[in-house]
Amino acid sequence: MNGTVAPRRPLPLRSLLVQSAWSRRRDRRGFWFVAPFLIFFVVLLLAPLGYAIYTSLYTTRIIGGTTFTGAANYTQTLQSGEFWSGVIRVIIFAAIQIPVMLAIAFFFATIFDLGVAKYGTLFRTIFFIPFAVPAVVGAVMWSFLLEPQFGPFVHLANSLGFHGTDYFSSGLILPTIIVIVIWEWTGYNMVILYTALRSVPRDVIEAAILDDTPLWKIIVKVKLPMVRPAIVLLVFINTIGALQLFTEPLILSYFETQAISVNFTPTLYIYNTAIAGGQYNLAAAAAVILGVVIVIISVSSLFVRRRRSEV
Amino acid sequence: MSATTVVRPGPEPGPAVPPPPRRRRGQDDNSIPIEYYGLRRGTVTAVTTLCVLFALFTLIPIAWLVINSTKTQANIFESFGFWFASPFVFGKNFALLFQNVDGYGVYFRWFGNTVLYAVVGGGGATALAALAGYGFARFHFRGSRALFYLVIAALLVPITAITLPLYLTYAKVHLINSVWGMLLPSMVSPVGVYLMKVFVEVSVPRELIDAARIDGAGELRIFFRLALPLMVPGLMTVLLLNVVTVWNNYFLPLIIFSQNQLYPLTVGLGLWSERAQNSGNAEIFPLIVLGGLVTIVPLIALFLILQRYWRSGLLLGSIAN
Repeated sequence: MNGTVAPRRPLPLRSLLVQSAWSRRRDRRGFWFVAPFLIFFVVLLLAPLGYAIYTSLYTTRIIGGTTFTGAANYTQTLQSGEFWSGVIRVIIFAAIQIPVMLAIAFFFATIFDLGVAKYGTLFRTIFFIPFAVPAVVGAVMWSFLLEPQFGPFVHLANSLGFHGTDYFSSGLILPTIIVIVIWEWTGYNMVILYTALRSVPRDVIEAAILDDTPLWKIIVKVKLPMVRPAIVLLVFINTIGALQLFTEPLILSYFETQAISVNFTPTLYIYNTAIAGGQYNLAAAAAVILGVVIVIISVSSLFVRRRRSEV
Repeated sequence: MSATTVVRPGPEPGPAVPPPPRRRRGQDDNSIPIEYYGLRRGTVTAVTTLCVLFALFTLIPIAWLVINSTKTQANIFESFGFWFASPFVFGKNFALLFQNVDGYGVYFRWFGNTVLYAVVGGGGATALAALAGYGFARFHFRGSRALFYLVIAALLVPITAITLPLYLTYAKVHLINSVWGMLLPSMVSPVGVYLMKVFVEVSVPRELIDAARIDGAGELRIFFRLALPLMVPGLMTVLLLNVVTVWNNYFLPLIIFSQNQLYPLTVGLGLWSERAQNSGNAEIFPLIVLGGLVTIVPLIALFLILQRYWRSGLLLGSIAN
């Protein structure tokens, strides 16, 4: 007998058969757990998306009805200056809002993770509160606060020497929206980064402390790389949201904000084209183009990050 | 199979070792005492000051909302924004929320609608996500990986590209101004499925399921009696996220509802804001302010009560990817 192979107790043939039957049955049964969600997913998400693409290829006219027009709606959208200025506006918005917000969120997450601030739990809870505030209510509150005629923040700007400050003017409207969105989302991002930081193994940090590594270096060189997956995820999710900016500018526009045109963002463009203009086919084409823009920008943000982390 | 032998992990496992001395209040277990960091004097004060400043930034709009919900129309505009003014009319404003002011709709009707949409939509989404997440995490059937990636890819689809065609379809099948038109799409939560899958992978051991199978338990029984109790912290997180998502949803109900008795709070408040400015009828402003306050109070309360769940559940965020 070959000495290298330890004699194993032979498994009874029956149990082997049962086991393989199990695994085969298990495979098929798994589908039934996913099936209920899948039905909803296909009917209420994939099918509408397919229908959007389908409608975007047609044009409905009052005289002549609906006819197949191929790429006509796409050409019209791609040549629309208003659509593209909206796209560029949300890209600028995302490029400023997301890094600023993530920097603030990472700073406070680190503070709470280290336990450097007093009353950390209380502050963490307070910072998270805006997550529970609907964007509509958040935008309404800030509209009241910043309103040019009676808003308390205008008085504040006046008393600080900035007379005639108009937060709703065309020059300040984008920064205003950036502040509102930072107010809404920093706490949520902070909590996710905080939980990520909590899971960094304690002995790694202890080793760094014993090596007399300064604290800022521990944060930047040890902790930051270890929570990079969470940061990448947050960049990805926030980008998708930022490119679809809609609620805040719409509510602000109700407060007689001349600086917000009906096509201020791509989603507002789509909303107005469809609901006010009744041009559903054109709106569908714009929605599909926006989807492509979102895919390109958010996915490429993943790749840029990945390559940088490999270097 | 015996479910009784399964130790259900608490949402937050306590420290295994006795707490180190001089633990700072509010700090979780497993923290390194801050004395070891070799901080300069004054760092704690400086950092705490920054926390206070950001807390002020966070709380100022909410404080303004609380204070101004007690004011009359004129005082909202004329009195100092961050202090109370007489007359104190919170009760009168609150009573108006039950009435149909100016024929745009009744606030508490919208409140009831929102609760219905959030509970049924968010609950349904969580149930579907729990089943699907378990299926994706613990089974490998043909095409399961591809399906999972398809679900994740759906995150990239703009909300307009789904909502507009839904609206067009509803118009054909008479679902415009139907509660189902709001409830059914709210039950699709790809993020929920993703989070549940990750959570099942870390909290429901494969060996446990295999052991139950050898004992002859059926798959459904294993799911409900064995896996589900282990999934509770993750379920609560996903439920909270889904309820908040539906509660805060604006675009879908804005598009599909034209009758104001079906509106959720977000659409109702948006309508009031628009009408108050554009029709010159500014008597609605106190209602917008108090209505905003009543909208956010239940969710903030829910979060404070269920805090321990979302904190453990959000650990997923760190495991993700």
